[in-house]
Amino acid sequence: MELSIFIEYWPLLLSGLIFTLKVCSSSLIMGLLLGIFLYLFSTIKNRLTFMIYRAYLTIFRGTPLLVQVYLIFYGGPLLGITLSAAEVGILGMGLYVAAYFSEIYRSGFNSLPKGQIEAAQNLGFSKRQILTHIQLPQILGLIVPSLTNQSIILIKESAILSIISVPEITYAAVKMASETYSVVEPYIFLAGAYWVINFVVSRFGNWVELKSTHYLATN
Amino acid sequence: MFDISIVFDYIGPLLEGLWTTAWISGISIFIGLILGVALALTRNGKHPLWSRLVIVYVSFFRGTPLLVQLAIVFYFLPLAGIFVPSIVAAILVLSMNTAAFQSEILRGGFRTLPKGQEEAAWSYGITQWQCFFHIKLPQVLRKTLPSLVNETIDIIKNSALISTIAVTDLMRIVQSYSSTTYRPLEFFITAGALYLILTCTVSYVGQRIEQKLIQHQGA
Amino acid sequence: MIDKAILELVDIKKRFGDNEVLKGINLKVKQGEVVSIIGGSGSGKSTMLRCMNFLEEYDEGEVCVQGRMIGYGADAKGNYIKAPYKCIQNDLKDVCMVFQQFNLWPHMTVLENVTTPLKLVKKTSKIEAEKKALEVLKKVGMEHKADSFPSQLSGGQQQRVAIARGLATDPKIMLFDEPTSALDPELVGEVLRVMQSLASEGMTMVIVTHEMNFAAQVSDNIVFLASGLIEEQGHPDLLFKNPKSEKLKTFLASWH
Repeated sequence: MELSIFIEYWPLLLSGLIFTLKVCSSSLIMGLLLGIFLYLFSTIKNRLTFMIYRAYLTIFRGTPLLVQVYLIFYGGPLLGITLSAAEVGILGMGLYVAAYFSEIYRSGFNSLPKGQIEAAQNLGFSKRQILTHIQLPQILGLIVPSLTNQSIILIKESAILSIISVPEITYAAVKMASETYSVVEPYIFLAGAYWVINFVVSRFGNWVELKSTHYLATN
Repeated sequence: MFDISIVFDYIGPLLEGLWTTAWISGISIFIGLILGVALALTRNGKHPLWSRLVIVYVSFFRGTPLLVQLAIVFYFLPLAGIFVPSIVAAILVLSMNTAAFQSEILRGGFRTLPKGQEEAAWSYGITQWQCFFHIKLPQVLRKTLPSLVNETIDIIKNSALISTIAVTDLMRIVQSYSSTTYRPLEFFITAGALYLILTCTVSYVGQRIEQKLIQHQGA
Repeated sequence: MIDKAILELVDIKKRFGDNEVLKGINLKVKQGEVVSIIGGSGSGKSTMLRCMNFLEEYDEGEVCVQGRMIGYGADAKGNYIKAPYKCIQNDLKDVCMVFQQFNLWPHMTVLENVTTPLKLVKKTSKIEAEKKALEVLKKVGMEHKADSFPSQLSGGQQQRVAIARGLATDPKIMLFDEPTSALDPELVGEVLRVMQSLASEGMTMVIVTHEMNFAAQVSDNIVFLASGLIEEQGHPDLLFKNPKSEKLKTFLASWH
């Protein structure tokens, strides 16, 4: 095991890592917001819109992310839009993860007993008050673990962006491997890097879940 | 100009690619299920060393990207002097990957099985192996079916990555045709549609099995 | 002729962590006897019953079924070591238990629930097993539901199937762990009737129950357990009409 090659390559690896974090957090934010929009879209009581919603879900959850990314990569220019590889990646991952997030939101909202909303309406709460004081506080604790899991899945999927030459961590490690003719060091590092990122995200998710459910703690 | 008819000239090889993807996914899921059951049992079992090894195994395969796992096995095996065809390496990695996920799904199923089931078996002198095969496993499989179906769909989608280790699956064929015909959009849309056929079929079959089980056992 | 005990507990002690739940239980059960164990919650009744078929591994003392100590063997130095699974099961082959939660296997039909122990343990053929199963199901009045699933039955029906499942294995001793506690009141009677008919046919039964009237009617011996010890035991006529210990008096008072 030649650890000395890291001395030369650590800047490349570090910039790859940072790029991964940037790309993933951008797509996660996009996914969280787009997911809200999609969820609201799904609540419209119209057969056609619901079918469009389900079609979106089926397409983005039923096909490989790689295919989706390739389509945006090649399709963009045809529509006259030129995006950098990173932008293609963020857009692709954002659209992909939004499908999952909106379903997580949906199951969260549906899990609240109707009685709670009825009671609040009875007491004269406005729709916004019901949302912020009754629904969100309870749902948050429920959906955070699922959101965390899905985020971890996305971070792992982001490795495929290396295939379209996005300079994230997998791309950096592959470059290092091909230039130094060594496979063990770069790939072990790569596996370790993802594992650490996911561990941190997982812990963060636990912390958020704890913070949002302290009302459930019995002393 | 966009012209989908070009795809029909290549429909033969495309369908072959689809079949390759389908059977490689199928075998991997099957091996993964058996391995997953073994892992779940070992994890809950009485030997702390084996239990910990399983924890490490599951942590690795769930915490790192499939792409990285494929690369590691593909490049490391020759270093250790083991030369296998790419397809074997692909099935090996996919199986090991899905086994980790399935073991966690099954573990949850085993954990939530009421202890009374075992106690009743004990009180009739049913041996532990008999209890496992006739009483525990059938119930756990029924209970975890939806999650296992989702995992199957994930493997089908993830199998697209084996194209990176020189397996001529659907993804690989689509990539090569899209570059030789300069028609990436048409081919990738077709790829999406073909993957969709696979995942929707699995989803549909899963739902039918679930319905049959509910009917069968009444409620 | 001395009446040999078919089931005997000698100085049984059982601890859960720091908590000593059974502090020294001594009990003899004769063949054909019906023994009811009563007591407040936390008195150790269920633990005592579950020691009889080794669902709880007792820490000290001896549980003997048909003269053989179950669960432990002695090594060369005379120390107790846990017996292998097969030996324990062999010693317990004439004992079966009916649980509070019925514990029917939900993925099998009623018929399959009853035939499975026969097929797996006694290696009975399918045809023989089904014949026997229908026989015992008829006895408990459930043969018309042989192809139903447990989820389609009421609690009382499920418990009767559970009893049938036990009967099919031709036990010599039947243990009942609060068989009616999980049932709606109107379903209790059908289960008690089945148990009553078993008792009158001479089955050896040990029952943990809160059904005082039933216990009084059907038992040959009532055992009152308090804080892990047998406070008092005797024939129901004596025990219920003339309780001697203070604890029993308080316990009975709370039932009227």
